[in-house]
Amino acid sequence: MENVNVIIADLSPLSRFGMISLLRQLNYPFSFREVSVPEKLKNIIHKDQASLVISSASFLEKFSDYQIQTMLPGGKYVAKLLINDLPHSQRKFTGFNEIIEFTDTERTILRKLNKTAASLARLNSFQVMPEEISDREKDVLRLVALGNTNKEIAGKLFISSHTVITHRKNITAKLGIKTIAGLTIYALLNKLITSEEIN
Amino acid sequence: MAEVIHLNYQLLQIISRFGIQLGFGDRSIKQVCREYNIDVNFFLEIINSYHDKNYFPRKNLQGFPLKLIIEYLRESHNYYLEIKIPQIEQLIRQLSEFSDRISGESLRMIDTFFHGYIKELQDHIEREEEKVYPYVFSVEEAFHLKKIPDSLVERLGEYSIDDFESEHDNIEDKLFDLKNIIIKYLPLPVDPNLCHAILTELFRLEADLNDHARIEDKVLVPKVRFMEKWINEHHAQ
Repeated sequence: MENVNVIIADLSPLSRFGMISLLRQLNYPFSFREVSVPEKLKNIIHKDQASLVISSASFLEKFSDYQIQTMLPGGKYVAKLLINDLPHSQRKFTGFNEIIEFTDTERTILRKLNKTAASLARLNSFQVMPEEISDREKDVLRLVALGNTNKEIAGKLFISSHTVITHRKNITAKLGIKTIAGLTIYALLNKLITSEEIN
Repeated sequence: MAEVIHLNYQLLQIISRFGIQLGFGDRSIKQVCREYNIDVNFFLEIINSYHDKNYFPRKNLQGFPLKLIIEYLRESHNYYLEIKIPQIEQLIRQLSEFSDRISGESLRMIDTFFHGYIKELQDHIEREEEKVYPYVFSVEEAFHLKKIPDSLVERLGEYSIDDFESEHDNIEDKLFDLKNIIIKYLPLPVDPNLCHAILTELFRLEADLNDHARIEDKVLVPKVRFMEKWINEHHAQ
């Protein structure tokens, strides 16, 4: 198994060292990268191709939800954990696979970490399989091919525009087709839409 | 000159862009260029930069008058629109004509898609020839005569070569998609030889367009930018 790159983003050195020593108790080939300055997180994520990002709430506090969503790596082969060190804050962070409470016991933390690491290991071993577009991506593709804007698609599928954009990025990456006209042909060839629907 | 073609037959299309026709016997490059009234140094720099991707004499090319560079770019445009595109168009039409009824319908969509691409390419070329090149010439004229007409200063305020560079839209995307659709997603049965021929032509066209864009971005734009700067500085005084 290849090394799993882990990014530990936390203002407090105590927290970072603590998390690393807990992760070392698990039997995975982790390699760690610590980040203590929030502004540097984005660049490091870009460079390091992390599979696991562990960040504290206080570290992410200054970023908006949208900034966090674009900054943290996406896709099912990446896991994101949040350490909730601001239990009294109103702010609710979304998009994390697991939330570790600051008051959790060692046992609970290890259980949460183990669960995440195990599912990551399982997914990463499947990574060589060819990527097919998911059913949800097909829904989005259909609407794109029929000429809907991102906003219209969001309305029809009851999802946010950001989610639509993410789906579209994934569709283009998987199919290797960038333009709407090209996606339309793909949809027609694969019978996701009919030529009558376009006219 | 014959040796050039033996060395790299892909240069044929570049040579023809200069108006040179086959049948030049054993005459040298210099002799042939003189016959056709072509600047031999410019000719050599252009074919060398196409022949060897690592050879790009930016500074040398920038030293040539804009008239030569633009004439060459215009000839390339003609070559795309008059020769290359109709060729590919015909191949794609054959693809849908010689297939059965069911796959025929989807192949006609490829035809429509390619026409969308042609339209974009035409618009792109038309904008360059009708808007950008005349502007570039007026900048060069002012620079050389050291005389700056007010109308040009006014125009410079509204439009500069940097705008041209940023407008340089990505028509490559459609070409990229078309290749991928044919390579990955075309339904059977199709004539494989025809598909290979189309793909080969698309790859060549793409490479040629990239070389073309390289001359625009690395030779034309910096040269004009330099002259615009001079005009702006001297007008202010």
